[in-house]
Amino acid sequence: MSGFFATLKRIGSERDGWLGLAFTLAILVFALIGPLVGPDPNAIDIKARFAAPELAHLLGTDNLGRDLAARTSVGTRYALTLAVMIVVISSIIGSLIGIVAGIAGGWVDRAVTAVFDIVNAFPPLILAFALIALYGKGSATFVLLVTVVFIPQFGRMARARAQTLRNLSFIEAERMLAVHPVTIVVRHYLPNVAGPIIVLASMNLPVVIAFEASLSFLGFGVQPPNSSLGTLIKDGFVSINQSWWPTVAAALVLAIATLGATLLGEALRRVIDPKSTGAR
Amino acid sequence: MTDAIAISNAQLRFGETAALDGVSLTIPQGTCFGIVGESGSGKTTLMRAVLGLQKLDQGEIRILGKPLVHGRAALRERASFIQPIFQDPAASLSPRSRIRTLMNEVGTVLREPHAATHERLAVILGRLSLPPGVIDKYPHEISGGQARRVAIARALLMKPSILIADEPTAGLDVSVQGDLLNLLQDIRRSQNITLVVISHNLAIMRLIAENAVVMRAGNVIEGGEVGSLFGSPQEVYTRDLLAAWPSIRAVNTKG
Ligand SMILES: Nc1ncnc2c1ncn2[C@@H]1O[C@H](COP(=O)(O)OP(=O)(O)OP(=O)(O)O)[C@@H](O)[C@H]1O
Ligand SMILES: [Mg+2]
Repeated sequence: MSGFFATLKRIGSERDGWLGLAFTLAILVFALIGPLVGPDPNAIDIKARFAAPELAHLLGTDNLGRDLAARTSVGTRYALTLAVMIVVISSIIGSLIGIVAGIAGGWVDRAVTAVFDIVNAFPPLILAFALIALYGKGSATFVLLVTVVFIPQFGRMARARAQTLRNLSFIEAERMLAVHPVTIVVRHYLPNVAGPIIVLASMNLPVVIAFEASLSFLGFGVQPPNSSLGTLIKDGFVSINQSWWPTVAAALVLAIATLGATLLGEALRRVIDPKSTGAR
Repeated sequence: MTDAIAISNAQLRFGETAALDGVSLTIPQGTCFGIVGESGSGKTTLMRAVLGLQKLDQGEIRILGKPLVHGRAALRERASFIQPIFQDPAASLSPRSRIRTLMNEVGTVLREPHAATHERLAVILGRLSLPPGVIDKYPHEISGGQARRVAIARALLMKPSILIADEPTAGLDVSVQGDLLNLLQDIRRSQNITLVVISHNLAIMRLIAENAVVMRAGNVIEGGEVGSLFGSPQEVYTRDLLAAWPSIRAVNTKG
């Protein structure tokens, strides 16, 4: 794992990367440790409703007097969990499909590319409403939707890399030794496709976080009793006349999370894959 | 005895260029056979066709009497007959796998216990003067010359009866070139392998090959026993090729 720490060190040595790392770390601590040490996010205390930030409630309270710091950290954890899950699933599925298409060529390749094009032809929001109509709203639909939307991006990148790799001597040497095709894909294609895929995945994390927030804000994403950053912003928005704290707190965390992840993703790209331009 | 490789009327075009323009040749078993020709004459393309990496437009290739067919079952069978050593051997080792993993893969293909594979490997590594420690390295951690011998070791582990080496001495010191050729020759003799050597360097053909063909623009223009072929070439092209390579006076390893 020394490569992992070396990468971290190189990211930290750049100003943008350092900021990204710091923001991301702060968000991670907030999301992972906050729920463990903070007060109960669902404890209602009507007397203390709409409290401004104070020692007992670091970010104030909402319309039911629930602690906003606790609620936001749980919401952040939920949003991050969804985002990581989506990016991991779609990058693995996308890479495998892309590699197979790149190796197979011919009609398999044309079919896969056509499906990718069709999926990406729909604006994500339209696709979201279609899937919500089919499967109902909720986190599962959201995960399915965003995974489907992101698969083509990973797939295209993996396909292009696989097409290059296919003609390299070391892949041909594996084929000449009649090594099993699954072994060739897993052991010789995947690791050589992984670099740019990891970069793309990290650059997509903030996109997913923001997309989830916007869908949840519209009421189509995460459903109660779960709360995510988007639902927190929405809940705060409803009572913004009584108190602007809930909205600002959640929006601030959303901003730091997406900004941090974006800067980190950019820095990671410069370190891992300096040749690419980052264009999708 | 059936020929190791028999090619008849192999034709292959890449757009306008006829990379193979009706090549016919036969390579007898157990010999060392040379394919020479200038850059772009179609040597590598011919090798790739023989390996099944490149489909022919026309013509037929037989390996040990069996027509070359594409598909996984055929590939699996062919792998145990014929193995390549690619033009750039360092590039033929998967960059993110340890040499050990690459060697184990061969054992898996042969359905052989890893212990048995490594027993055979130890002998081969010794033969190629490779330290046993190389198997724990990644390809980028070994030298170019070592990578070449590792690639040869891996091919030999498959127990092929035919070995095709594309420019096996390219990029090597003249002093090391002779060593490598001697080594290949030794292995060929002791394991009764058919060795096909591709090169644009006629001098090395004189050193190790018994028979050779001269290729030009996708055609075989001349062929025969090396002594007479290069001793009294019939074609001007062959004479020109010969003139380009001052003969190297080295120990003749043929025989
Ligand atoms: N994949 C390909 N696509 C298009 N043209 C090709 C391809 N492979 C080879 N050629 C062309 O076919 C001809 C023969 O190439 P080949 O690589 O077989 O030559 P060679 O004799 O091995 O040369 P060298 O000594 O430089 O290795 C050349 O004109 C080359 O440009
Ligand atoms: Mg060549």
